[in-house]
Amino acid sequence: MSAGVIASRISSSFARWYSIPLLLLIWQAAVASGLLQSRLLPAPGTVWTALIDETGNGALIHHASVTVSRALTGFALATLAGIPFSVAMARSALVRNLFEPIFFIGYPIPKIALFPVFTYIFGIGTPSKIAFTFLECLYPIVVTCYFGFRSVQTRLIWSAQNCGAGRMTILRRVILPAAMPSIFSGLRIALPISIIVVVITEMIGDSVGLGYYITIWSTRFHFANVYAAIIVIGICGMALDQALLAVRCRAVYWQRGES
Amino acid sequence: MRVASRTMQNWLLPVAALAAWETLGAAGALPRYLSTPTAILAALWEIARTGELFTALAASLYRVAAGFVLGTAGGMLAGLAAGIFDPLVSFLYAIPKVAFLPVLLLLLGLGHASKIALIGFSCFFPVFIASRHAVLSVNKLFVWAAQNMGAPPRAIFFRVIIPGAAPQLFAGFRIALAHAFVVLFAAELIGSKAGLGTIISYAEEWVRFDLMFAGILCFATLGFLGDRLLLAIRWRLLKGQMLGTEELLRQ
Repeated sequence: MSAGVIASRISSSFARWYSIPLLLLIWQAAVASGLLQSRLLPAPGTVWTALIDETGNGALIHHASVTVSRALTGFALATLAGIPFSVAMARSALVRNLFEPIFFIGYPIPKIALFPVFTYIFGIGTPSKIAFTFLECLYPIVVTCYFGFRSVQTRLIWSAQNCGAGRMTILRRVILPAAMPSIFSGLRIALPISIIVVVITEMIGDSVGLGYYITIWSTRFHFANVYAAIIVIGICGMALDQALLAVRCRAVYWQRGES
Repeated sequence: MRVASRTMQNWLLPVAALAAWETLGAAGALPRYLSTPTAILAALWEIARTGELFTALAASLYRVAAGFVLGTAGGMLAGLAAGIFDPLVSFLYAIPKVAFLPVLLLLLGLGHASKIALIGFSCFFPVFIASRHAVLSVNKLFVWAAQNMGAPPRAIFFRVIIPGAAPQLFAGFRIALAHAFVVLFAAELIGSKAGLGTIISYAEEWVRFDLMFAGILCFATLGFLGDRLLLAIRWRLLKGQMLGTEELLRQ
């Protein structure tokens, strides 16, 4: 590798990543100059110490594991229910006519407003969070997959029928692969939603989870811990998204270069 | 005939669910917290007559509109101008912006400002990402053609890039609007003195489940109408660009 290549690689990775250290510098400068109250926005070093301490004593890991497991359970249930359901909606006129208004008119309705009702039905703990995450994830998954299944090119199905393939074979070998990119874009919309709604509902009322952690430490005016938890949420969200992309890479291997 | 049976099938489940809710609720077979549709409408009428509804509606509407406009304008400008914040944005995007609510409540108080700031903050990211992708995916041929005909950079930006990026921009706006309502609800439920979310949380404390559902109904309607308004605006602005696309199906 010539020196020029190395230099250009360094400069391009600098161009990609410099905004993060830049933000940290501005943050540090703002706190040091007294422009911002350090009580509300502690210095980066303080937040870092809080992050290390709270990870070390297991608190953040405990709350994060609760939040992530709730989000993933709701997300997984919505995926398992949503994909077969969207196939049924795409392939059967009766199912489509029955459920189309519920999904298409219900889609833009902010479902978070129903959360208080969920707490009455399922209680305040984990079940109501999972049920609510399920509902919030189900809509984007069903709507996106439905369009994916409907837009499968008819001539692909015709040629499979011509070759004598049965209904199940067509579904498994033609329709499912053809709709796979749409399925994954639906899942990719739903996954961050699952984390967001779990944190929000934990902030509204719970005794465990990262949302609770943020609420409790902000009422104690201990904002270093709050920012540490925010960083942990960001890391969890990014890790889950990367994991989903890795699965997508395997499942939609013919589009690998494009994303 | 076929059209009629299709409309009937469309209405079947919602109407059946409402009827079952009403009859079972009136018979006392449902838990009290589910109320009944008629009681909910009565509660809605009650808060509409006292004017409580409109004060709350105005507060919520003002917050969501101001936050949405500020956030989308900021996100669009930043996204169209440059991509200097890229890794930072992809990190912050994954964080539910509601996590900053306690800090903003302390900084800006329980009034409008903290909600507007939080909604603006939440709207910024989807619009930023959408506009950045939109600008990068504008067909280079159009830009070259405009340059060839001697269009100045300003004209290229407003007459070529913005219209070319508009469909994706609207997709970003739509996501941002959905975020705005979720954040508004959470913020009003967690710390607020006015607004529809506050009506819902008060109704819960007073064990007035009909009132709670009336608030939920208003909030849901507000979100639905906001989305339809955005779609209508997009429909007017982008009529020509959507012909023959999947978007037409979704209308």
